[in-house]
Amino acid sequence: MTMPHTSDALIAELVDDLAPVKPLRFGEGIALTLAAAGVTAVAVVAAFGLRAEWLAGHLDPMQLVSTGLFLGLALAASVTVVVMSRPHVGSDHSGWRWAAAMAGLLPLAGVIVAAVRGSQTLSSEVMRHGAECLAGGSIASLLVFALLVLWLRRGAPTSPERAGLVAGVAAGAFGIFAASLHCPDNDIVHIGLWHSAAVVAMGLVGRVVVPRLIRW
Amino acid sequence: MRADEPTLARLMRLSQQGDKQAYATLLEACQRWLRAYYARRVAPSSLDDLVQETLIALHTKRASWDASRPFLPWLAAIARYRWVDHLRRLYRADEHELHEELIGTDEEPGIAARISLDRLLGLLPPAQERAIALVKIEGLSIAEASAATGQSESLVKVNIHRGLKKLAAIIEKE
Repeated sequence: MTMPHTSDALIAELVDDLAPVKPLRFGEGIALTLAAAGVTAVAVVAAFGLRAEWLAGHLDPMQLVSTGLFLGLALAASVTVVVMSRPHVGSDHSGWRWAAAMAGLLPLAGVIVAAVRGSQTLSSEVMRHGAECLAGGSIASLLVFALLVLWLRRGAPTSPERAGLVAGVAAGAFGIFAASLHCPDNDIVHIGLWHSAAVVAMGLVGRVVVPRLIRW
Repeated sequence: MRADEPTLARLMRLSQQGDKQAYATLLEACQRWLRAYYARRVAPSSLDDLVQETLIALHTKRASWDASRPFLPWLAAIARYRWVDHLRRLYRADEHELHEELIGTDEEPGIAARISLDRLLGLLPPAQERAIALVKIEGLSIAEASAATGQSESLVKVNIHRGLKKLAAIIEKE
């Protein structure tokens, strides 16, 4: 919009341009995000199948805990993104960091165990499988990522860089959650390094790509 | 009309539904509120432009206000965002010349302290706050700000850069 010469002229122009709008609702933002995450999870299971051990009735504690941590991070980060879309002096955008710190125990434990095991964690087979999960988790995050970016574009985030980062983390965590429904590997090194890498990678993508898409 | 919170919130609710009369009243009130809000925090020569930019932002982002929440903290967050963006653009344009008319009025902006620009500036380390206030708001040159603060010229620049970065990160902080 070009700037009219006086504020009165601008106000007249804005009033003339007024059309009813549908306010951004917190619940709607969360519901859409969960729906996108649900569609992704169903698509992953439909395309690649559910974990074989689950189908056999076995549950691995490591896998349950790690998947739960990624889901918790995804939910906390998504809530933060939706809150960020509606500016308000006094809003707190830091809640997701606690979930990130908890999930951060996974790569930490993975690095420690990998260091103890030594070179076997770098075998080509391990790396190949790890890269598959990194790519799969990242691809599985794209629907949620796109939805959160669109939501932020409708809103008015006052910190586009942080909003982009958190949107990427949320999408990456939902993506790797979906990928975990198929991935048969329960090893802490695999989960801690490669699954976490998908979250970090999407966080970086969000931080770099999203601000220019949502700046206002 | 008094620009109090309940009145503004009621007008904004009607505006979101497309009520043009309420919207005109709301924008007039917001314009006055923004002039007071920005008073002494931008050069008088920039005040009109900044108020108009903020009104446009209010217009384009009006769906981001939730009727279940107060109006003024929403408007203040938008105003702060536009203000920091304004300071950053000045920084990029490297406009450090002194404007003689930059002395503001002593009139107090009648707004809640928690959403004020002073409170936001007060969250910066004193050296950064001072460098930004002197150069970006009062319009001193880097050399003049350096002489006034005792900071080297490069330190003044660094403090402005870091201060603006931090301001951008804490716009919604009380």
